[in-house]
This record gives sequence, structure tokens and C-alpha cells, in this order.
Amino acid sequence: MEKNYAIKVENLVKHFGKDDTLVEVIDGADFSIEKGELVALVAPSGAGKTTLLMMIGCVEDPSSGTIWLGNEKVYENKWLTKETRKIRREKIGFIFQAHYLIPFLNVIDNVTLVPQTNGVPQKEAESFAMELLEYFDIADKAHNMSSELSGGQNQRVAIARALANKPEIILADEPTAALDNKRSVSVVQMLKKIALDQNVAIIMVTHDEAMLPLCDRILKIEDKKVVSEVVSENGGMI
Amino acid sequence: MINLAKKDIAHTLGKFIVTSMGVGMLLGIVLIMIGVYRGMIIDAQVLLNDLKIDLWVVQENTLGPFAEPSRLHEDMKNTIKVTEGVAKSEGLTFQNLQLPLEGNEVRVFAVGFDPFGDISPIDSTKIVAGRGLERDHYEMVVTDKTGFKVGDKVPLGRDVYSVVGVTHGTVSSGGDPLVYVSLKDAQALQFLYSNARTRNDRERGINALNSHMINAVVATVKEGYSVDEVADTIRTWKHNSVYTATEEKTLLTKNLIKMASKQIGMFTVILVVVSTIIIALIIYTMTLEKMKEISIMKLIGLPNSMIIKMIVQETLLMGVLAFMFANIFAHLIYSKFPKRVVLETPDALVLFVVVILASILASFVAVHKVMKANPAEAIGG
Repeated sequence: MEKNYAIKVENLVKHFGKDDTLVEVIDGADFSIEKGELVALVAPSGAGKTTLLMMIGCVEDPSSGTIWLGNEKVYENKWLTKETRKIRREKIGFIFQAHYLIPFLNVIDNVTLVPQTNGVPQKEAESFAMELLEYFDIADKAHNMSSELSGGQNQRVAIARALANKPEIILADEPTAALDNKRSVSVVQMLKKIALDQNVAIIMVTHDEAMLPLCDRILKIEDKKVVSEVVSENGGMI
Repeated sequence: MINLAKKDIAHTLGKFIVTSMGVGMLLGIVLIMIGVYRGMIIDAQVLLNDLKIDLWVVQENTLGPFAEPSRLHEDMKNTIKVTEGVAKSEGLTFQNLQLPLEGNEVRVFAVGFDPFGDISPIDSTKIVAGRGLERDHYEMVVTDKTGFKVGDKVPLGRDVYSVVGVTHGTVSSGGDPLVYVSLKDAQALQFLYSNARTRNDRERGINALNSHMINAVVATVKEGYSVDEVADTIRTWKHNSVYTATEEKTLLTKNLIKMASKQIGMFTVILVVVSTIIIALIIYTMTLEKMKEISIMKLIGLPNSMIIKMIVQETLLMGVLAFMFANIFAHLIYSKFPKRVVLETPDALVLFVVVILASILASFVAVHKVMKANPAEAIGG
């Protein structure tokens, strides 16, 4: 696998059911994403966006194919490690439609939970978390509970959490769905900056076409295939 | 490392404490039940211990005087007294009475004994007010639980008795407060019929005037003599049933309260099972409330062990808190019970072990739910 790829997928297939009830969702996806790239994943509802995201995130079992995460081949017709959760914990950051912070943890604990689970000492994890919170301008809320924060602040904490384990990949499932247009633009611009600053590959599922010009590339699911499109300079697709 | 259980409990501290208190009250009842059983055993032995005697002589082929009725002629005490090896002997009567007190009835267990005899059932160290019996008639010593005070007048049968002494902690095997009256008064109360009945019996040709009966003879054995051998002698030659003090204790503690202890044991087991189910339901509900968070935790890569540790720690802490509340609750209310309740540390320790095991068992259902949680469910919705 080429060095700069964060994600590479080869002939990835996913179907549900069998025989008469067989439903093919993804039929031979081939694509790769480089580090530092922000890629939008678009498709109509039910086309398999989240399924594809979850297969890359080692959550959903593919039916066949190959998945590379960085230099590590993690799937080839079967998971090549029993510890897919460890891969998630160490290589991947997740951002969801809603913030989904753990409500009984305060902001700093939410952000440091995964790094501490990875064995990073508490002080080191907290120091890096504070850097992230300062980056997102919410350092003063470090010891607040998520219930005391606004929606936008919570989403920024969720992004900080996704970055806290210094991931190679961020999988964002409609991160702007619950936000107004102004905040959506702000969040996507933030993701773009993170991709470049942290050299992280980001796949962002979105329905919002207004966000597409802000991305480097677009992956579309068409007829169960994944098609890559480049975003033109004026924001359109080539 | 972040302790998830600590953070979760701190987040819902009030709810957690109140829930633990609820379970604690249930476990407190378990402690009280065990205490009632312990109290029954102690109560059963109070009179026996106070008498400090070696032998119980009762009507032949009976388990008297507590387990079965027993009647002996009063002069049997003299017959026993002259038996070789016997140091002292006295005749005793036992009967249940209802004494009037301020418009209510107090149920008591009356012991009749000769105030001038060799053996007294009253342990002088237990007299907290007044004195023991010093006359043959119309005096009464009562237990403080009856509510009577020294100087009170108590109408009983055809006569009025004066309370001359109050004891503390003296109860019958059934838990009724003890009162002590002279043997002569006790015989009149138990065996003497009314004038009308006496006249009626005479017309029938029955001589019912003999009230010199007793329920048992108690005796001590001289030093150097075997209690069992003296018992055998009386059994063989005096045609009575004889029990040693140990046998009489066994009759009371093993036989008489056997059914009651089984009953209490059943209740205790049921309460422990119910408590376990309640803890399991509470933890299961608490886990269900957190399923979204648990899915998120699994999705972002937290190992099952960390999430299970949270569930088990919360369950154990609930068990420990409930146990503490159980003890506080039991110690606050045990003295309010009409009968003796004895709370013993070993019983509490056994319950603690049971509660911990029950808590671990209770957490299994929630842990199973955690294991089954699908991280993909965290996405959407």
C-alpha cells in the first residue's frame, strides 16, 4: 500500500440476508483516501453511507473485500485481528450527528476517556485535551458537564474527543445535521483545518450539498458502487 | 484512569443513595427477622437460666411443663428432696394470665413459687425496682415490659395483688413478660374452682377441693453426684418424667420454636431472594438507561471489561450501601418490637457476604445486556 494513504478499500462488498432475502448494499467498492484529505460521502438515504462508514470503522462486518487503515491491512474477507475495538480506539476518531458525549462525565473526562484507556497517563492526556479545548475555544468549559453546554459547544467537545487519541482517520456521520447553515459551515471548515493541521483523513457523511465545496473530494454511492469525484474550484463537481 | 462507576454515581448521587436506602430497608427487615429468631432462642432460656437448677421433674410421659401440660402433687417436691443426691427441690406452677392495665389487657406468663423455699426463679440481679416476694399472698413481681410499677394494684381472680417488685429482661419461652406470684396464690388461680363449681362438683360426688397441685418440681443435685444418675433414679422409682437442664433447654429451643424458626428462615430466604431480584432490576434499569452511552463507549473503542467493571462496581457499591443502611435501619427500629430482637455481628457479617454474592449475581443480567450492546446502534437516532 502506498505510504500516504490513510484508508484504502479494495473490492469491498456488503450484503444483508441470503438467498431470496439477499440485499446488496455495496458491490465492489474501490477507493482510497490520503492523509490530510477531507472527503464527503454522499448518497440518497438507504444507499449504504453509514454502512460503508461503519465497515471502515471496524464496526460492521463486510461480506468480502480488503480494508487498509494506514499501513495495516485490517480486513481481507475476515477481520485480521480480534481486537477491532483496539483499532478503533487507537486509529479512529468518531463524530456523530448529535454530540453523544457521556452525560455523567465532564468535558475533560469525555475528551481524555479514550487516550487514558489507551494507557496515556492522566496528566499527559489532560494536557493534550486542554490544548484541543483551547483550539476549539472551549477550554473554560473543561470541568462543565455536557448538559451545561450549548449544542455548538457540545459538538466542538465531541470533535475534540475524536481527536484526543491522535487518530489517523476521523469518521464523521452527518456532523452538521443538527446545526444551522452558519454553524455547519464553521464545523466543516474546522474539520478541513484539522485534516490539514493534524494530517488526518476525514470521511464526512453529509446530505447538505452546501458543505460539498468545502471538501477536497466527494465519494458518491451510485448503483452500489462508490464513485470518486473531485470538487471544482467554484465548488461544483467535475 | 477514569473510574466510570464513580463518575456515574456522582452524577446521580441522590437517586443512587435513595435507591440503596430502599434496598437497605428491605435488608434491614432481613436482619430484624434473624434478630427475632435469636431473640426467641434467648427468651426460651431466660427462665431456665434464672432458675439455675439441674433437674426438671414433670408428669410421667409428658414433655412438660412448657412443651406439654404437666400436673404433679405438691408433696412430690418433698419426695424428690429426700432422693439421694438431690440438694434442693421446689414446686413451680406456670400459667398464662391476662392482667388489666389502664383499660387494656396485658398478656403475661405467671410463675408460682414458694417465696420461703430453697429455689427462687427470680434472679435478684434483674430486680430494677422494689423487692422480691416476701409474703405468701397477694404480692406480685412483674417484668418492666408489662407496664406496671411498684405499688400498682392488680385485680386477679378473686383477689387484688400489689406489685412489690419490677424485673428487667424476664420473659417466657413464648416471649410473654414474666410475673411472679407465690405458689399458694398461683395454685388458687390455677386449680381452685369457684364456690358454685365446688358445690356443683360435690353434688356430682367429685371432691374438687384439692388445689395443692404444681406443674413441675425443680431440683439441684449435690456436688459429687451425677445429674444423669439422679435423674434416672427419679425416673425409675418416682414414676415421673425427668429432664436435665440441658434436655429442657433442647426441648424449648429445638422443639418448641422449631416451627417458628423454620417460618422465620423461610421469610428470611424469600426476603434475600426478593432483595437480589430488586437489586438486579435496579441495576438492569440503570444499565438500560445508559444503553446509548454504552453503545457509544463500545463504538469509540472502550473494552467490555471497562464497561462491565462500571456495572459491577455500581452493583457492589449499592450492595454495600444497602447493607450499611440495613444495619442503621435495623438498629433504629429493633427496640420498638414487642418481643426481643437480638442483632448479632456474626449474623450481620453473614448477611454482608450474602448481599455481596447477591449483588454479583444481580449484575449478571446487566452485564449480559452490555455484552450484547451493538456499537453500531450508537449511530443515528
